[in-house]
Order: sequence, then structure tokens, then C-alpha cells
Amino acid sequence: MLDPTSVQRHDDRNYQRPDIQGSMSIQPPDNAQWEQALTFIAADRDKKAYSQLFSYFAPRLKAFGLKMFGNEQQAMEMVQDTMLNVWQKARLFDASRGCASTWIFTIARNVRFDMLRKKQSRKDELSADDLFFDGDYPEQEGTDSNEWDLWLLAEKVAPHFAKLPPAQRDVMEKVYLEEKSHQEVSEELAIPLGTVKSRIRLALDRLREAIDDPRS
Amino acid sequence: MIHAVKYHPTLELLEQYIEASLAPQVSLAIAAHLDLCPHCQRMKMDLEAEAGAALLSLPEAQTAETDWQQMLDFITAQPEVAVKAEQRQPFTLHIQNSEILLPASLKPLLQTKLKWFNLGGISTAKLAGEDQHNVSLLYIRKDSEVPQHTHLGLEITLVLKGKIYDESGCYGEGDLLINTPDHTHTPRTKSEDCLCLSVLTAPLKFKKGLTRLLNPLQHLFY
Repeated sequence: MLDPTSVQRHDDRNYQRPDIQGSMSIQPPDNAQWEQALTFIAADRDKKAYSQLFSYFAPRLKAFGLKMFGNEQQAMEMVQDTMLNVWQKARLFDASRGCASTWIFTIARNVRFDMLRKKQSRKDELSADDLFFDGDYPEQEGTDSNEWDLWLLAEKVAPHFAKLPPAQRDVMEKVYLEEKSHQEVSEELAIPLGTVKSRIRLALDRLREAIDDPRS
Repeated sequence: MIHAVKYHPTLELLEQYIEASLAPQVSLAIAAHLDLCPHCQRMKMDLEAEAGAALLSLPEAQTAETDWQQMLDFITAQPEVAVKAEQRQPFTLHIQNSEILLPASLKPLLQTKLKWFNLGGISTAKLAGEDQHNVSLLYIRKDSEVPQHTHLGLEITLVLKGKIYDESGCYGEGDLLINTPDHTHTPRTKSEDCLCLSVLTAPLKFKKGLTRLLNPLQHLFY
């Protein structure tokens, strides 16, 4: 928890609106900026930081809501509930767990779920907060393994490799075909190291499924 | 209670889960699997990160500036709410004469006393059911066999304790099995009791009472 007095005044701070026009990458333009905004909101309910965050996210959340609900009224209700949660619960945002955009997505997802449940007048025994837990799970013995890396050497991977989503394929090509380190790939593609790692994990999982579908 | 989980939801299913586009009862089974599976916890976070990135790259939807301003003014006039990060801890429950550690996801459904329905070595207790999705606990005593059955809907089974075997393999704690109407299987236990979470999507409507009578398993599982 931040001590509000430890945060400098930032009235003159200029939040640049990120330019995402023409960018093919799905990498967020500037999540660090939004992380900082959330920190200011959590610390001293900074309306200026909030209003900049709002003007960036609200129209995009609306686009998301229109896609999910298919109507203006529910989309706007989702935007308002989501952005209200962001305002009131900014202290729950934990940058070590993920980007600002990830956190806001999970709030919108939960709001949408609860809206649908409410509309169906369901008892709230199955609430979004329970079903889509967003905190730390208790530590368990690690089960991470690199065994699937070996599969990549197998010829049967090749046809599936081409079918990976482009963002994941780019990272995989650099790491496994060009043998670059995760750090090098991160710098070369100008994406955070965590994103490189998460795309590799997703791609490996996808390939694993494609190869022999052990998940059923 | 750690067992290396071998059977996971597919990525496609996890994607639908993180978008909340699955039936809530199916989401519950996935959430309980996540409680037991660090691998899928990681996948969930990664998929949510991708979904967040996709949100950022959506084009802005148009709304009058005054409407946005009104919403903004309304929100910033609201007080802060007291919040604290949640802890996710498993809990124990007394089931069939033993204390069993259960995933935190199931806690909201286990606040009331369970009513068990027994048939041979098998007991079931319904936890929730609506929209043609039924959630129940299935307790199978050691050396018992669930009579061969097929499903008219989807059957999702999450092993919570012990081991269960069928024609395709052995499933331990945390393993998630999904059977479609195409599968026929005869699950059985060996040397230990087994507790499972079972989520069934409803079969097509049984219009004839006879069909129901001819299928006692229907009563057991649904």
C-alpha cells in the first residue's frame, strides 16, 4: 500500500496519449503510463490521472461491450461499472501481477458476467469474483517443465508452427530458430520481457495440443 | 495434496473461460481445476494479458463528449471503497467420514449441509443446478465401478481426492476429464475412495417417463 504523502504532486505531469495508429503489434502502446496513473489514483484519488485513463479506456471498453452485448445501453452500463471499479478499487491493482490493461480487462469481464447473472435473476452463489479469481494462489510445488521444448525439435511440429498466431510465432521464431535470448527478443521487438515469456508459454501449449492432444 | 496434474482444459476452453463465455457451472469446474493446477494458473494470466492487450488495440467507439464527461463526473464523485486483496485458500470439509481438502472455488457452494443420494458404492450430492447444467459431488468408494454409461450432454469431471480409472487411463487430483456424447466409459476406483466434482450439461428433454425409468443412471447423475 502506498503512503499518499510519498507521492509527489504531479499536476504538471503530462500524460501522453499513446499513438497506436498504424501499429500492427497487439502490444499495448504504453502500459507503464497507465500503471503510473493507477498508482496516483490509488494513492490520492488523483482526478487528473483518472480522467486521462478514462478518456483512453472508456471508448475502447465501449467497443468491447458492443462486441459482447451487441447493444449500446448494456455496453455503456458495462463501461460505467468497470470504470467505477477502477476508480474505487485502484488500490487492488498490482503491477507485479500484470499490466494495467490486463487488470482493466478482468474487471470488465467480471462486470459483464455479473450483469448477465443479474439479468437472469440468479442467486449470486456463482459470482464473477469467485469464478475468476484475480489474486495470488497459494504456493505449490513447481511443476514448470521444459520438456515441451524438446518437442520443438521434432519434425512434426513444423506444420503447426505456421498456424500459431503471428505475435506468438514471431517470438518463437526468434527464440527457437534464431536462438536469441528472451532478453534479446524483448529488445528487438520492443515488448516487455514478460510478454516474450508469456507468448512462448502460450505457443508451446498450443503446439503441445496440436501434436497429440493430451488434454481432453 | 499435490499431484502432477496430467489432464488440463484445452487452451480453447481456457480462452472461453477467461472471457466468461462459458456456462457458469462449467466455469466453476475450470476455476476449481485452476486452484489445483499451477500450470493453468499461469496460462490464465497469460491469456488475460493477451485479452488486455487486445482491449487496448480496439478502435474507440463513438459517444458524445458530453456523455463521457457526465459519466466521468459521476464516477469521480463516488467515494473510495475499502478493499483488500483476497487470499485463496483451500478448505476442509467433512465428507463421507473423512476430512477432505477442497479447492477454494467450491466454498460458496458448500455453505449448506449436503444431501447425499446413495446407490451401491456411489454417492452423489447436488451442489447447484440451473440452465440445464448440474453441479454435484460424486463420492465413489474403493473397488467400485460406475456402470458403463454414455452422456447425452457434456460431462466434466474434476478429481478432488483419490484416483479414478477408465478405459483411457488413470486420473488423480486436479485432473480434468471432459466426456462428450461420443464417449462411452466405465470409470472405476481401485484401492482408494475417490471424490470428484461433476458438471453435467442436461440431456435433451426426456418427454417420455419410460425413458427416465429405463435409465436409472439418469437419476444418479443428473
